[in-house]
Amino acid sequence: MATGETGIIGKGIVIKGSLTGGGDLVIEGRVEGQIALKNHLTIEGTGKVQADIRAEELTINGEASGNIDASTRVAINASAKVAGDIKAPRVVIEDGAVFNGSIEMDVQLPDDI
Amino acid sequence: MANTVIGSSIVIDGEISGDEDLVIQGTVKGKISLKESLFVEGSGVVEADIETQNVEIAGRVTGNIVASDKVELKTDCRVVGDIKAPRILIADGASFKGNVDMDMKER
Amino acid sequence: MATAKELSGSNNVNNTVVGPSILISGRLTGDEDLTVRGRVEGELTLSRTLIVEPSGVVKANVAVRNAIVSGVVVGNINATESVELTREGRMVGDIRAPRVIIVDGASFRGRVDMGDVEPGRLPAERPTVARPTAVARPALPARPTAPARPPAPPPRPAAPAAAPRPAAAPPPPARPAAKPMPPPPPPTRVEARPAPAPAEQPAAAEPPTPSVMGAGAKKKVVVKKKAR
Repeated sequence: MATGETGIIGKGIVIKGSLTGGGDLVIEGRVEGQIALKNHLTIEGTGKVQADIRAEELTINGEASGNIDASTRVAINASAKVAGDIKAPRVVIEDGAVFNGSIEMDVQLPDDI
Repeated sequence: MANTVIGSSIVIDGEISGDEDLVIQGTVKGKISLKESLFVEGSGVVEADIETQNVEIAGRVTGNIVASDKVELKTDCRVVGDIKAPRILIADGASFKGNVDMDMKER
Repeated sequence: MATAKELSGSNNVNNTVVGPSILISGRLTGDEDLTVRGRVEGELTLSRTLIVEPSGVVKANVAVRNAIVSGVVVGNINATESVELTREGRMVGDIRAPRVIIVDGASFRGRVDMGDVEPGRLPAERPTVARPTAVARPALPARPTAPARPPAPPPRPAAPAAAPRPAAAPPPPARPAAKPMPPPPPPTRVEARPAPAPAEQPAAAEPPTPSVMGAGAKKKVVVKKKAR
């Protein structure tokens, strides 16, 4: 995870297309299309993402719509608005967050259910 | 304190089973089978067949009762149904309609 | 609006507890808090809070005001205020509630819909007739989906999973959700729905049989596994 560099897509930036990379990324602007990231993606409060997202870890404070596939964790923080289907081993939704869609984690149920 | 309490506003339509004491203040319709004691309190309404070790009834019960140890009908209770138990206590003021069978061959 | 933290201190006078060895199967309704340490199967309607403790198992369709899940829930939950899955909570099913909180450590599989919920309405209560397959996922137009997204995720039209969805329309204007107005649903669906039950009324007008609901919940899980 310690690839050192953290990319930032600033407030004024709009990206349409697909975005791939190895380092951490912070989105403060807009991204439309697809995101595939090996490390940690953070969508800040000003960020708006309309994309299918694949990343190791995802932290959302802003808006995101699209399907999310994370290999470790998705955190939907209180200020976030998220729509889409999420697949991740750990998903956290804070009080105040708005989320509509489905979540798929591994659920260990008792045998007799 | 008994582990399980069915509060006065609760209505259960179905079956209750378990290995611990049960206190009914609300309404239960269906069937109750317990290995321990059942307490039907004054506000409790039971329309169910009951199978348990002990029963204490202060509320209303409609249904047949089979207890392996004791059935106690307290003052002001209203019970309609047949009771089968080795020991049966009916307090003054209790109202009961049904048959009593105290001949338990085995427990 | 109560969360686990807010409730843990207040000891409710009128509190129903289902002990660890107790199994209740059938229909349970009430106007008080319910704490489940044992097992409840079938259908559960409360005008207050359902608390599923770590030892508790609820295999039921649930309509409540608040739900706090630290144990296991298999089935759908409609809550008029909030649903919280705590660190130990495990749930398979769909959640409809204006507030949904999933804490780190909880596990969940199913849909989340933060639309408003009518009190006392059980998740599977919507008539099947009113959900033709074509509009089985009214959620779709409601989402500002990415262009790259496939036209529809594997649909589960027959499963009750889709059931909570239709009630999302009409969307409450007060909600500042990221959801644009969906196209007006087929009129039949709107008209088929009875007027919302008053909050204090525990039982809904035409509750379905528990067996149907249990089967539905099971079915949904299976379908879901296949879909991925």
